[in-house]
Amino acid sequence: MELTATAPPRSGRQAAPTAKRRKSQIGLAFIAPFGALFALVFIVPILYAAYLSFFQDKLVGGNTFVGLANYGKLFQDPQFWDGVGRVFRFTLVQVPIMLIFAMALALALDSMRLHGTKFLRVTIFLPYAVPAIVATLMWGFLLGIKYGLFGSLNEALGTDIDPFSPGTTLISIGVMVTWAFTGFNMLIFYAALKAVPRELYEAAAIDGANEFQIVRAIKLPALRGSLVVTIIFSIIGTFQMFNEPQILPSMVANSGVTTFYTPNLYAYNLAFTGSQQGYAAALALVMAAITIVVAYAVQIRGLRNASDQ
Amino acid sequence: MRLSQKVKLLSAALVPMLALTACSGGGSGGGADGGGGDEKAKITVWSWDGTVEKAVPGFQAANPNITVEVVNAGSSQDEYKALDNAIQAGSGVPDLVMFEYFAVPYFAVPGKLADLGEFGVDKLKQDYVPAAWSDVTINGKVYALPSDYGPSAMFYNAATLKKAGIKEPPATWDEYYEAAKKIHALGDDYYIAQDTGDIFFLLSLIWQAGGRPFKVDGTKVHIDFTDPGTTKAVAFWQKMLDEGLINTKITGWSDDWNRALNDGTLATQTMGGWLTSTLPERAPKASGDFRVALMPQWQQGEKVGAANGGSSFGIPAAAEHKEAAFKFLEYFAHGGGLSSRVDAGAFVPNMSVLENDAFQSKPNTYFGDQKVGAVLAEASEIVGSGWQYPPFFEWARSIYGDLASPFYTTGKGSLAEILEQWRQRCIQYGNEQGFEVS
Repeated sequence: MELTATAPPRSGRQAAPTAKRRKSQIGLAFIAPFGALFALVFIVPILYAAYLSFFQDKLVGGNTFVGLANYGKLFQDPQFWDGVGRVFRFTLVQVPIMLIFAMALALALDSMRLHGTKFLRVTIFLPYAVPAIVATLMWGFLLGIKYGLFGSLNEALGTDIDPFSPGTTLISIGVMVTWAFTGFNMLIFYAALKAVPRELYEAAAIDGANEFQIVRAIKLPALRGSLVVTIIFSIIGTFQMFNEPQILPSMVANSGVTTFYTPNLYAYNLAFTGSQQGYAAALALVMAAITIVVAYAVQIRGLRNASDQ
Repeated sequence: MRLSQKVKLLSAALVPMLALTACSGGGSGGGADGGGGDEKAKITVWSWDGTVEKAVPGFQAANPNITVEVVNAGSSQDEYKALDNAIQAGSGVPDLVMFEYFAVPYFAVPGKLADLGEFGVDKLKQDYVPAAWSDVTINGKVYALPSDYGPSAMFYNAATLKKAGIKEPPATWDEYYEAAKKIHALGDDYYIAQDTGDIFFLLSLIWQAGGRPFKVDGTKVHIDFTDPGTTKAVAFWQKMLDEGLINTKITGWSDDWNRALNDGTLATQTMGGWLTSTLPERAPKASGDFRVALMPQWQQGEKVGAANGGSSFGIPAAAEHKEAAFKFLEYFAHGGGLSSRVDAGAFVPNMSVLENDAFQSKPNTYFGDQKVGAVLAEASEIVGSGWQYPPFFEWARSIYGDLASPFYTTGKGSLAEILEQWRQRCIQYGNEQGFEVS
């Protein structure tokens, strides 16, 4: 499994100091191109954001250093915490559902009892290739109550369900996200299952294990490592939710999507509509910190459990 | 270092380089700002108004030294964001940019737009509808030239009105209210109009009723939604919403809206005159059904209007070729290029066009051969004067939906309460941004 790789052999330990230095210099040369690019597109923007977050650029009066004032304001900003709370709730509900779906599909494909698995694999993965903007437009039409599929359903069943009312919009977004990313996660699980040595299954069969016992004793433990990866990917993805709430308001009336619906959307509106770049930068950094903390917590816990095996 | 200083330094570094390239290119080298005069200049224009491009060939023929590149950098907010980014970054700043009227103060007050006074813009004043000219004048200085106008008018579906037994389009808001009841009686889907929190519509209603909620003097902004005009307009629209006479499920510019315009279930649209060119694309099936009238009046026999939208072009302070840019601006917004744009469907606030017989007497087939130009010319000339937008209106309108949405979905609260909340948020934001807002 990828997460339990052993450390490389430390053969250089006994070598002479000069040789060691030369070796490390050669190593540096190898990572230099990557290092330079990484610094340019990753480190520098973060530092610049950090720098910006100490300033307030007023429309009148220009740019002034405000120290940690932006952060202080952020922690007392109910709109920010409203957005944070929303993505947390979203993550708690949507991610488990999506991953259970993905896992079930991966197990089904791996069971070798289905026909046309290659076709199925591509089909399930396909939504991932649809740009989020197109997907949102498409779902907007599908779930529309006036002329969309939901309108026809309501008419046929005599119900009055509106998928884009303030109370239901988040659920609809959950459906869209699940549709888009189940295939992607399924592929990760499927790859992990493919890596399981076939001998284990043969041995299990000889021991008289049935399919469910094989799943429980062999396949699910094999998926544990990739489960950690998919959870982390999903958390990062949902914490950064942006496209769906950005596009929906132009399609449907009063869906409950505000300018601060998700932290990312809030940062975008602060920076580009409210011209509060410093405040938006502070928000982005705090949100990044929250995401990192949550992702690490998952990773550490997941790895500990994995190594318990 | 302040960003604006960086911009200045950068442009200071760029100017000599440009001068060098101009000389090596064999230019005569006489222009003062490295762009105008006889020197070759390439200007970049940001516009989402497709008619501007029509003026380019004529301009380039008359000014062979200037190359014009028209770019669509997005509409409205998208473009303003792009411009803010370009100004912040200090590169890629266009020479001429399209702004809705309400966005002009946002860029002009912090000094991001060039004062057009130095190009002698004042002598063009007579050609413009006064209300449009005041839209681009901020604290006595002109920062943009009006390029299209949105006098509020009522577009009505005559077929739907007829079906509801209404012979004449409502001329007063009282008649509008009565008409709304008759139209809704045609069926659950039938409404006189839709509204899901359209701040521009509400403001045009207030504007027409004589309310002037925003008073701007330099960096001082006063906001008051309790003057008699505002109160009257808000109370009227509140009544329309409370009695369920307005469709609050369909949002403007959505697919649902297109369909409702096509099938005639939305009977009227009180919007800017620019709807004339959009409506045929949005509602091709309703061809021949729609007509245009002045906005319904508050008093029988009165003639007061308001504006809803419209745009102008300004020159960023950080632009490279200001003189060349103004030349082109003058050409397509006032001079020889204006007619090519009018022919392409632009609705402009130029008196020379509005008062023109050909413009006023041209029948429009989509509107059942109505002489739409005459109606809109009149609507332009009666627009109430003295309206102002606060410099942070772009931000203010973006959050209006957040505040209005709960009322439109649950019916709890009222428009007056929303406006008061909006005022509070504007005061807070405006003061944070260095204005004196009260």
